[in-house]
Amino acid sequence: MKLSYDNKFASIEDIQKGFGSIGYICSRQIATTLYLAFHLEKPILVEGPAGVGKTEVAKTAAIYLDKPLIRLQCYEGLDESKALYEWKYGKQLLYTQILKEKLNEILKDTKGLGPSISKLHQHDDIFFSTHFLEPRPLLSAIQSKEGAVLLVDEVDKSDQEFEAFLLEILSDFQVSVPEIGTIQATSKPFVFLTSNNTRELSEALKRRCLHLFIPFPDTKLEKEIIRVRVPDVSEDLRSQLVSFIQQVRKLDLKKLPSVSETIDWAKVLVLLHSSALDPELIKETLNIFLKFEDDIDIVNEHLYQLVDKSKREGTMY
Amino acid sequence: MQQVLQNLIMALRASGVRISVSENIDAMNAVRLLGYDHRQRLKDSLSATLAKSQNETEIFETCFDRFFSLNNLSAPEKDTTFPQEIGPDEQDSLLGQMLLSGDQAGLSVSMRQTAAEIGITGIRFFTQKSLYIQRILRGMGIEDVDRNIKNLRRDESAYSFEKARVLKGARDQLFENVKDFVEQQYSLFAASVNEELLDKYLKRTSLSNLEKQDFARMRAIMKKMIKRLNDRHSRRRKSSKKGCLDLKKTLRANLAYQGTPFEPRWKSRKIDRPDIVALCDVSRSVEAMARFLLLFLYSLNEEVAKVRSFIFCSNLVEATHIFKEYGVEEALVRLHKGVGLGVMLGRTDYGQVFRDFKESWLDAVTNKTTVLILGDARNNYGDPEAGILKLLYKRSKRLLWLNPESPPFWGTGDSAMKTYLPYCSIVQKCTTVRHLERVVGSLLRTRAV
Repeated sequence: MKLSYDNKFASIEDIQKGFGSIGYICSRQIATTLYLAFHLEKPILVEGPAGVGKTEVAKTAAIYLDKPLIRLQCYEGLDESKALYEWKYGKQLLYTQILKEKLNEILKDTKGLGPSISKLHQHDDIFFSTHFLEPRPLLSAIQSKEGAVLLVDEVDKSDQEFEAFLLEILSDFQVSVPEIGTIQATSKPFVFLTSNNTRELSEALKRRCLHLFIPFPDTKLEKEIIRVRVPDVSEDLRSQLVSFIQQVRKLDLKKLPSVSETIDWAKVLVLLHSSALDPELIKETLNIFLKFEDDIDIVNEHLYQLVDKSKREGTMY
Repeated sequence: MQQVLQNLIMALRASGVRISVSENIDAMNAVRLLGYDHRQRLKDSLSATLAKSQNETEIFETCFDRFFSLNNLSAPEKDTTFPQEIGPDEQDSLLGQMLLSGDQAGLSVSMRQTAAEIGITGIRFFTQKSLYIQRILRGMGIEDVDRNIKNLRRDESAYSFEKARVLKGARDQLFENVKDFVEQQYSLFAASVNEELLDKYLKRTSLSNLEKQDFARMRAIMKKMIKRLNDRHSRRRKSSKKGCLDLKKTLRANLAYQGTPFEPRWKSRKIDRPDIVALCDVSRSVEAMARFLLLFLYSLNEEVAKVRSFIFCSNLVEATHIFKEYGVEEALVRLHKGVGLGVMLGRTDYGQVFRDFKESWLDAVTNKTTVLILGDARNNYGDPEAGILKLLYKRSKRLLWLNPESPPFWGTGDSAMKTYLPYCSIVQKCTTVRHLERVVGSLLRTRAV
């Protein structure tokens, strides 16, 4: 995959520019990690609070590289048969039914059990060949000819056993199917793992990945993100609303507003044709970026103060 | 340059970031790709390859900054009153020449080189600091300079005298610089090693002897311990989940294959979560211990799903909500003082406590429950009500009693421990974190002890 894509990943600045052109503003840290991951051929483990664009990095990388995105959503109880491969039982059954007569024909001349079995052995494992293998996300990522971007979303939700089983894929880009053997990746996929830190991941998994922590963006970066994502929003309003959200994040809330919620809010404000922050309007639209009643109460308490300050700061920049 | 990276990794390891060999190789590859010439870029790339969690990233950042801080050596101020310019001449040693000409860069390089030669990275204890300072100074050739100063002083001329003064000033300055440098290296390579030692010590000391300042650290240790044990046992629970063939589910799933059971379905046993009822004594006789027992309960509440906590002295009250609502400090004060709970802090009365429990909360104990009692069983010669304890013992899966006193004291004076002993699955002396650790292990094990 390297040759044709080398120019896209030639330098950190190229990545930043390229991602920016598709609508993902990435910080220096993100771009550096992407660059390293691409050249060292290592998976990236992305951590950070909800809604800062962890999944989005992988999606954007897929678009940027023009490769299919294969996504595996993890959950408790996820196992091999759902993540890696499964035998097509139905097809196997159907084929044995259809081929029954053929089998009879083959076995017609043989007498006794022993010879029949040895005759069958000549045809070996036809029912356990790749034709009967149903590839699940991990296997299809490995098999994909022109490479792929594999996104293993929310690894922390899966069980510890599943994590252990990811190790083979992450370090060697290969998969072992007992009946067939080891399947090696023809072109190595670009792997992203995301985690919300609901539990500590194992050392072994962390060791195989590069680590990227995406925090909430600073004012400058967030403004840039809003500019790209919601181009209709006016310059003034953008500064004000970003500074408002940044202040809200400093409050003691149950769930802090994420970047995606800032974007949603900006979109709503554009829809409502507002050109500046207005306390009444904010009050009515608070539920867009605050998801708990308690949080809304807290913000309402400080509302006027926050609006004042964000207006001052908004005009400053 | 590779040695620099290895030293950085050593410093990181000393500060508690575990770095494996493969990560080390990754870091080297990353550096080879991006080079050393761009500070921020180097920091980003090393952060991605070496630090693998948010916590580690923070440690990495401070460590990196400290490691690559090129503290410019401070130079002594020039005294310009002397008419003649004081400069080095051939007779001065290399170090003397650098000192006299104020070559701070040269001094810095020489200092670092010497430090590397004598292995500054091996520094572990603060008592070694002066040793390392002396070694570095000697390695840089301070002895020659000292001799030189002495000789110059013996000389009578004003020039020599002034030169000796300047040299002495520069030498003292160098001493300060080396001291700072060693100080910095110590904080890089030794700080957390000592923390580890402290942790180890804290685990072994009796809980009642611990000081308040160690409290936060203690809490971290306990939290870690309970979390680790909980993780381990929750995993074990999962592996024993698979049961026998579930006929109904199998038939339903295989209807598509004309009822041929191609896909067997298994019964899964319900996950058996540890269910704990804990009673903690907060009376005066266990005052020193109570704080830590409560801390232990608090950590247990955070990590284990189903815990009901009670505190008692003269009577028994439920305190589960306190653990849920307040932060650790606040909760402990509230529990210890019994603020707003209605606990009477009079004479400890185990009999009354058991009666209270039987009256109001007996339902909380089922055959899956582990009952955990933390107290010294000093009953002030009241009725021990061992009958109720027996009832609890029979109802519950098991009953653990943690006693802060050691076994020889059980049953002496007003201690009713001997009376209670037959109705406990385990009675354990519990004075250090190690003891607690053992107990948590048995608490979380799902099968009966």
